[in-house]
Amino acid sequence: MRMSVDIGGTFTDLVVEDADGLALYKAPTVPADPVQGILDVLATAAVARDVPLASLLGQVGSFVHATTRGLNAVLTGNAARTAFLTTAGHPDVLLLREGGRPDPFDFTRPFPLPYVPRALTFEVPERVLSTGEVLTPFDAGAFERTCDELVAADVEAVAVCLLWATVNPVHELAVGEVLERRLPGVPYTLSHALNPSLREYRRASSAAIDASLKPLMSDYFSALTDRLRAAGLAGRILMVTSAGGVIDAVDAVARPILTINSGPSMAPIAGRAYALADAGSEDVIVADAGGTTYDVTLVRRGEIPSTRSAWVGEVGTGHMTGLPSIDVKSVGAGGGSIAWVDEGGLLHVGPQSAGSVPGPACYGRGGTRPTVTDAALVLGYLDPDEFSSGAMRLDTKAAIEVVRTEVADVLGIDVIEAADAILQLTTEQMVRAIEEITVGQGIDPAKAVLIGGGGAAGLNAHAVAERLGCRTLVVPAVGAALAAAGALMSDLTAIYSATAPTVTSAFHADRVNAALADLVAQGRDFAARAGVPAEAAGIALFAEARYPQQIWELEVPLRVTSFESTADVEAFAQDFHRTHEEILGITDPASPVEVVSWGARVTVALDEANHQIGALPPPTGSADVRRAFVPGEGMREVPVVPLASMQVGAVVRGPVLVEAPFTTVVVAGEADCRLGESGSLVIETVQQEENR
Amino acid sequence: MNPSTPGETAQLAVLSHRFEAIVTRMQNTLARSGRSGVLNTARDFSCCILTADGDVLMTGQSPPIHVMGGPDLQARSLLEFYPELHAGEAFLHNSPYHGNTHAADHSILIPVVDEAGVHRFTVLAKAHQADCGNSIPTTYMASARDVYEEGALIFPVVKVQEGYRDCEDILRMCEMRIRVPEQWRGDYLAILGSARIGERALLQLAEEVGWDTLDDFAGKWLDYSEVRMASAIGKLPAGTATTTTCHDPFPGVPEGVPITVTLSVDPDGGRIEVDLRDNIDCVPAGLNLSEATSRTAALIGIFNSIDHTVPHNQGSFRRVRVHLRDNCVVGIPRHPASCSTATTNLSNRVGNAVQRAMAEIGPGIGMAEVGSGMSPSEAVVSGVDRREGATAFVNQIFTGTNGGAGSPHADGWLTMSDLGSGGTLLLDSVEIDELKQPIVIHRRGIATDTEGAGELRGAPGIDVEYGPVGGPLEAIYANDGSINTMAGAREGHPGAPSVQAKRHRDGSVAEVDICGPVVIEEGERIIARTSGGGGYGSPVRRDPGAVAADVREGWVTRARAEAVYGVVLDDALQVDLAATRRRRDELDSKELVQA
Repeated sequence: MRMSVDIGGTFTDLVVEDADGLALYKAPTVPADPVQGILDVLATAAVARDVPLASLLGQVGSFVHATTRGLNAVLTGNAARTAFLTTAGHPDVLLLREGGRPDPFDFTRPFPLPYVPRALTFEVPERVLSTGEVLTPFDAGAFERTCDELVAADVEAVAVCLLWATVNPVHELAVGEVLERRLPGVPYTLSHALNPSLREYRRASSAAIDASLKPLMSDYFSALTDRLRAAGLAGRILMVTSAGGVIDAVDAVARPILTINSGPSMAPIAGRAYALADAGSEDVIVADAGGTTYDVTLVRRGEIPSTRSAWVGEVGTGHMTGLPSIDVKSVGAGGGSIAWVDEGGLLHVGPQSAGSVPGPACYGRGGTRPTVTDAALVLGYLDPDEFSSGAMRLDTKAAIEVVRTEVADVLGIDVIEAADAILQLTTEQMVRAIEEITVGQGIDPAKAVLIGGGGAAGLNAHAVAERLGCRTLVVPAVGAALAAAGALMSDLTAIYSATAPTVTSAFHADRVNAALADLVAQGRDFAARAGVPAEAAGIALFAEARYPQQIWELEVPLRVTSFESTADVEAFAQDFHRTHEEILGITDPASPVEVVSWGARVTVALDEANHQIGALPPPTGSADVRRAFVPGEGMREVPVVPLASMQVGAVVRGPVLVEAPFTTVVVAGEADCRLGESGSLVIETVQQEENR
Repeated sequence: MNPSTPGETAQLAVLSHRFEAIVTRMQNTLARSGRSGVLNTARDFSCCILTADGDVLMTGQSPPIHVMGGPDLQARSLLEFYPELHAGEAFLHNSPYHGNTHAADHSILIPVVDEAGVHRFTVLAKAHQADCGNSIPTTYMASARDVYEEGALIFPVVKVQEGYRDCEDILRMCEMRIRVPEQWRGDYLAILGSARIGERALLQLAEEVGWDTLDDFAGKWLDYSEVRMASAIGKLPAGTATTTTCHDPFPGVPEGVPITVTLSVDPDGGRIEVDLRDNIDCVPAGLNLSEATSRTAALIGIFNSIDHTVPHNQGSFRRVRVHLRDNCVVGIPRHPASCSTATTNLSNRVGNAVQRAMAEIGPGIGMAEVGSGMSPSEAVVSGVDRREGATAFVNQIFTGTNGGAGSPHADGWLTMSDLGSGGTLLLDSVEIDELKQPIVIHRRGIATDTEGAGELRGAPGIDVEYGPVGGPLEAIYANDGSINTMAGAREGHPGAPSVQAKRHRDGSVAEVDICGPVVIEEGERIIARTSGGGGYGSPVRRDPGAVAADVREGWVTRARAEAVYGVVLDDALQVDLAATRRRRDELDSKELVQA
């Protein structure tokens, strides 16, 4: 048996995998003590399965965990008091970031603070050049005095990023040695060891975030491990990484930044599995709809694209992680988003959100602004008595009242039309997020399968699919806990990279081949540490390449592990041209190709995984009807069908409301709904296809 | 403005999102496929959609100087020269005498034509080029006496594609006259690709909802934007203000260029007028503004001073009248006056004067002045790269930006650069710069005590010091703000002056020319300090806690905190409230005496 736990803002999700398939459990998150939330949801599962908790945990072979603990610490500024050591003359690497400004006309926002204040930034007298040559030797005496200041400043962690340490790490290593001696027990991160990539800001930011999380994450992991062991857990404890894999908890403690964006990195893994199982597609758009955000990720030909420019906080003004991360587009559109009309008469949805407190007006907790959830209730899409599987009763009158006064009356339309306009606009915002990322990755949404995950997915996943022209929408049975399910489907993963710049017109085969050989060796080491033979590891080599003078690299898989001839180089260039055409729409076949860095993605399948994805519900329930809005027809009687009452293979035609666990799926138009083999709800947007 | 039918309520909002998404898509394509540093690093490019008759309908988040008061002139010149437009055509336009910003910005205009052959919309993509064929290797040629000396190739609406196929002869011409032609060709492809993506997306959208719906949307969207603008202006106090400023002396203009701006706000009528006519004639230098940049600079100053959520399009522009004069240095240039630096130097001065005039109209609006000039930190550097063989290189580096101005709501934006860019440009990575060209950047960081003090302070300047590796390096730039600093608004103080200097092999430092070219030999370094932004409001009203934070973070020294902000700190750098009160009273009475 395996388990995975995902701690969300509102709920802690548990997915249990055994020989029968997957089962989903939820318990409220305990913000002050997240491990308690985990123990609560485990207890819920033990009760539901009618076994004592200790014996349930005794059967667990591996326990996979995703946490937002590190992320929250960074966002709220609660990480360790960290010092930043930088090359003399360059104190403002973390302050300046990479420049830019989100809105050229918005002068209400102050310039963002650096991740480490200038007051805790120290310049190290030294300088290495781009060739690796030492211009200014490391001044050990001066650095001893810096250490006096570090001690006096009571720093809890130290981040070191020196210019060109990726080409010649001698000075970073020297700094590390002195830190070991002068600040024993204070964790530190050397940029070249954590993230050997070009661009000092990215490397510095990686190092600073990583170092700042070390004290906290190491405490968290040991508390987690101790309490789970005490509760009876025997198996291996694994952590989810930002890159969409899992690693052993000890590795996560050593490099806590690897887990920082673990929240949204697992949904695409699960989405990929369900798209393949239920719709036979390898091009997938995975949407995870929560209460306040809508996360979109992609799967292209079975591969999940990653990015090195992931930010914690807002793009450009937050802090860049600088390490490979699943490419997630997140927009502030969810059930809590507030609808409002501006003074020119234009309807807006968000960016303000009522969140979960006070929440939508229909929650009856003091919310006075109309939200997307209120609009859905007005349209009959939610059952006021059975919201979130009966966890809460909704106040329909309150919803109608706020939609009427704040939107309908202002625009001079009736309340149903106003609610419909709110949902249409929400759908549009989601579609736009999807289009930005699909266009960026060269995918035609019409040819992809849409996965509707998340607790709020049901509201307009079908509307989004129709608008995008997607033929197939899959709402997995474990969709409300897509991330936790994905964590059970992922492999042990590591990504290594090497900086060995070259260009295809003057290819440095020796230097490149040496770098590739080293990457392969690192991959084999990883396999050995994971306890499997080197042959069992999948090592995929890739290049991060661009046309000369471009600044954004594209990742291109390599066909060879060593470049033996000009034909190998030429084949690689062709692959690059093709990728450029696919993603950016143009190609320049006469141009040489510049490679900035080389990488290896290493995956080791977990031997204990038995690759279950099914979660077929026991057949129960019967159909009902409810008054709900159908575009083009208005309010009418619409059948309500429990997912558990559907038969595999039997088709139910929309309009229909399908009650799935923890969510209601709204199919407001004509579409064919069926129960997939894995227990997913599969919706074919036939109407759309006929129109085309 | 209430839409006439319920269905249109959602439609106006939904279609505005779709048009925005199309512009975003065009921009993403351009950003990611562009070749030159100025395009992909500095993000000096823009995209917009115009109506068939040339109204700016939708713009993205791009450098403001590109997209406000110029694309309409460009689209109208297209209609003038090509009254009949066909699908598959594309036009290259960089003429500052026909609505473009300046010669280095190459624009591609594509008419979007429906199946019946009717011209429905125009899409425009514009990007600054690394080189545009000037007589010396820079795209900002301050010293050019006229367009002939400037030497740029000028394309006053030239057809470069027909039936979706290149007019190869034009491209070959460019390749013969533009430095690093393959880089230009790459950027050209990126611009064209971006415009074609916009065209395709509009055609798809029309297929889905119909052309009439799109036309109807365009009208309603411009009307909506005008309502928003009228309402924003309605919240301002009525008034008229005249402000003056002066660009530093330059080649061809030894006295500098004085600028006078008169602005009046009519809240009841919901209108603003800006008069730039009371200024000198075109000058024999590259500083002259084009008609596009004269109008846009004034619009930037206004839009910086009001609710930033008002859409920037022809609808809101209808509420602003910018009066320009023919043959005026900040008006409508008369050929062959050179407009080589039209997007930066005087644009920044005009925009600053306008936003400072807005500040004078009443409290809580307007802004101080944003740092001005293209410092050696943003020079075009050229030479021979001898690290592997010997190849010539020429590239603009972006290593340090001018400081932003204090506003009524926030301190100046540190990496603001200038008004024309709106702060959107990215800063180079030191490592990338050192990899790309044979230079070493020895120093880069904020310059303490260079901020314009204020209740909301300006951002400080940035110090950058760099030198060549393995041979001499030539740097060309076009600075400002070394003599005439960036003024504060509403009792805010000016920012510190910019500096350009050379550190010789013996360590001695000497000032160098404000424009260059400067040759830096191996072992020497060029030193740049960018201009600090002006402050907004009196520094003695700044929150003492904010001053203390600036001191702890090393932006401001303890001495300056006390002398200028009247904030006295103890040795733990905490505010000494009693001493601060005394010091501020003292400063206040000194000010009264002076008054």
